[in-house]
Amino acid sequence: MTRPISRRAALAGFGLAAASAGCLGRTENIAGRDPHSQLTLEINTTPADDDPNGIRIARQLEEHLTAVGIDVRLNTVGQTDLWRKVLINQNFDIYVGQFVETEPFDPDALYGLTHSKFIAESGWQNPFGLTEIAVDDLLDRQRRVAGDERADAVDALQETLCDRQPFSVVAFPDALTAVRRNRFEGWTEGRQPLSVTGLLELDAVAPDDGSGGDTDSGDGGSGTDGNATTGNVTTGNAMTGDTGDADDGDGADTDDGGGDVLRLVTTDDRITENWNPIAAEYRKYGTFTGLLYDPLVRADGESVVPWLAADWERVDDDAVDVSLRDARWHDGEPVTASDVAFTYEFLRDTSLGNVETPVPTPRFRGRSSLVEDERVLDDATVRLTVPDVNETAVSRALQAPILPEHVWSERTDAATIAGFEFDFETTEAVVSNNPDPVGSGPLRFVEATAGESVVFERNPDHFLGRPASDDAEAAEETTDPRGGIPSRYHGKPAFDRLRIEVLPSDISAVESVAEGLADATASNLGPASVPRIGRSDDARLVSGRSAAFYHVGYNVRRSPLSNPRFRAVIARLIDKSAVVEDAFNGYAKAATSPLAASADAVPESLTWTGETDPVHPFFDDGGSLDVAAARAELRDIGYRFDDEGRLLSRGQ
Amino acid sequence: MTPFLSVLASVVAWVGTMLAVASVAIVGPARLREAWSGLRARLWDARRAVAVLCAVLLASAIGRSSLQSVSELFGLQATALIYGLEGGFVAWVQATFALPALTAYFSWVYVYGYAFLLAFPVVAYLALPRTATLRRVLVAYALNYAIGLALYTAVFAYGPRNVMPDMVTPLLFTNQPDVMLLATEVNVNTNVFPSLHTSLSVTVGTFAVLTREEYPLWTPVAVPLSLSVVVATMYLGIHWLTDVVAGFALAFGSVALAYRLVDPRSDAAEPSGDADGECPGSGTGADD
Repeated sequence: MTRPISRRAALAGFGLAAASAGCLGRTENIAGRDPHSQLTLEINTTPADDDPNGIRIARQLEEHLTAVGIDVRLNTVGQTDLWRKVLINQNFDIYVGQFVETEPFDPDALYGLTHSKFIAESGWQNPFGLTEIAVDDLLDRQRRVAGDERADAVDALQETLCDRQPFSVVAFPDALTAVRRNRFEGWTEGRQPLSVTGLLELDAVAPDDGSGGDTDSGDGGSGTDGNATTGNVTTGNAMTGDTGDADDGDGADTDDGGGDVLRLVTTDDRITENWNPIAAEYRKYGTFTGLLYDPLVRADGESVVPWLAADWERVDDDAVDVSLRDARWHDGEPVTASDVAFTYEFLRDTSLGNVETPVPTPRFRGRSSLVEDERVLDDATVRLTVPDVNETAVSRALQAPILPEHVWSERTDAATIAGFEFDFETTEAVVSNNPDPVGSGPLRFVEATAGESVVFERNPDHFLGRPASDDAEAAEETTDPRGGIPSRYHGKPAFDRLRIEVLPSDISAVESVAEGLADATASNLGPASVPRIGRSDDARLVSGRSAAFYHVGYNVRRSPLSNPRFRAVIARLIDKSAVVEDAFNGYAKAATSPLAASADAVPESLTWTGETDPVHPFFDDGGSLDVAAARAELRDIGYRFDDEGRLLSRGQ
Repeated sequence: MTPFLSVLASVVAWVGTMLAVASVAIVGPARLREAWSGLRARLWDARRAVAVLCAVLLASAIGRSSLQSVSELFGLQATALIYGLEGGFVAWVQATFALPALTAYFSWVYVYGYAFLLAFPVVAYLALPRTATLRRVLVAYALNYAIGLALYTAVFAYGPRNVMPDMVTPLLFTNQPDVMLLATEVNVNTNVFPSLHTSLSVTVGTFAVLTREEYPLWTPVAVPLSLSVVVATMYLGIHWLTDVVAGFALAFGSVALAYRLVDPRSDAAEPSGDADGECPGSGTGADD
């Protein structure tokens, strides 16, 4: 039935005769060759309970790959396991997943994702194993030049990446959220409980029961309101942002949905057991750890605002001076310039030299690697060595979370299990769950039950809640503790507590909001759960564009995925329009470029216009896969099939 | 949590009612009265089996979450294997048979019918003068749980609703999301191989056939009900056919083993505490 086996049977039968006939050499020449076998590829993705969309993309790809003669293994693994497999162990063929930034991001994000200098590292830096000089050059160029020149470099970069196709962008999902009415307002397209800025921008709904009179009186008012009103009426103390210590009152004890508790539900339980901002396999967008840890600078839409840094300026061709705001860690210690210096050194090598080869951070690597050295000038000023790159690249380098030296310097030893050191080439810092996280951010950790829930509370000492003294505000801006921060963040967050509860599926998450047990959903919603939102008068659907594009990632270290032409054929097996229509029910936008959500970044050549991909169009035959065309294309680029139509490859 | 408690209360109410009705109809008032008076002696007689079952349930309750982590890290990643083996069989079941009425029936069977199915034999066999069957059922339950837990740990796989959401609708959880809260309390979505719903139901069904002379009315109730549970696991998109086949094997294996382990001769006399307990390995397969 198959050629190799029948040939082998024949060889066995004729072996003796052949040997005696004196043509042993020829037989050896034939038998010594390895037979071809069918190509096997494994697709990894998360199960429907974890993410209702990714598995549907994987299923379509599985169906189409099978149709062209590839043996496909469709494997579902939990979210942590998927990233462990892909990012840490790099032991995968193909995966389907989402990018890690939900807010539109700068093109420089591709630097970490695809630069070949990160080839030997594990984490979000070049998980595909791409080594393309043309890509590297353009990545470096878009950091060096500015203005139109940079725009050109970014265009060329996208075209080159699209051509090499280390991953296939499938679609940008709409960020769908079920939201409870009358609890918090400001849930709009760009303000969802998915990103740090989205959560910080929320406002509490003003109470409609007449207790609004003591809105401005601060903690006293909120305390009595919170105790007197239960259920869904919110107290209005956080409206003006002038009640810095509002959580003295109701915040501490009301965990049951009253008062200013923002209650989110999610299917992702990782935040209930791990709060390590650099643990790649435990973070989705890093939203909640982003609220625990402040960066020096925060992206705010298309601009950047000084955050933990009061200001920064380039003082030299290779130096940037950063001055810090007056801030404290959640444990009361002051945030100093040496914490900043420590953080950047630590992100470069989390072992600080304790392990033979450096162990760089698995997250924030692309941006933080720009900082080459750091020097503490005084308690509140640090000089960072940053090569001569454009302002955008500098500000991205400043967007890594600042970690307290007194906590993380204890975690620089090689990771051990029960005191034994194994050759894992990693440090305690990378594998730590970071229990009782100590950050400096607007939220601080309260308590958690692994797999069930986690509670954060507002950090009353945070500079967002610290009003400027009246004279100073008028007189001199530099004394304003919130200088440079847009006023919509002043006094935020608008809740005293943030409670995140884990539920088994998107459907139960939506039900929970509809029944008033939660204020909003924070994880992906599938098409089956969306119609349920409309059935409750008190819940509504908020939909916005997310930048966390779904993509099919290839391990280009492995043959035949190492062949860009082969990857291009796989890209053409993905019917992106059908995915958007069927899997996402229209709540997504098909795309070619990873920058499709970033403003004005996509060149015309990569703009998705009609029904199909401008570069790698689907092998379309009236809505289904044109198998013959796909096979012809594979033959054209040098692949072969056996007589049963199976795609052959050398033993993998 | 309110939805969780309400679903739990409704399970208790349903099962309680069904148990009461079935006890009167199948066991009969006379036997029940008799059972009541001899209850303590019979329980004492079956103490070892009760203890074994309790120990297994306790171990499962305590160790499950850590075994789950072990399974995640070291278990055989079998989703692709199972899916490759049977493909879209479960999707075909749904596509061919799905009807709103059937969905309602199977959802009911999966939750309430199953709970009743497991609970009733304990009552019924407790009402028998000899405790051999009771002990065998309890030991068979314990074996099901213990082997099931071991296999859950050894095999890490997701069910069809998690792999083929485009073809398999998670009917139970779509129609009764509250039930999902209960289901996740008792089970994890990676514990699919083998189907314990199948194995325990088939265990009960097998015992019902073996004891048809004692309870002729129970057999025609138990067998269709247990087969309904088996179909429900696939119809609702929760289990693969592979899980169900393994469930049958586990059930028959557990029943056979329970017969081997539990010695019927020990309670040849009336149960009055004189039984010497079971001697493992002796007295195979003697029917009641």
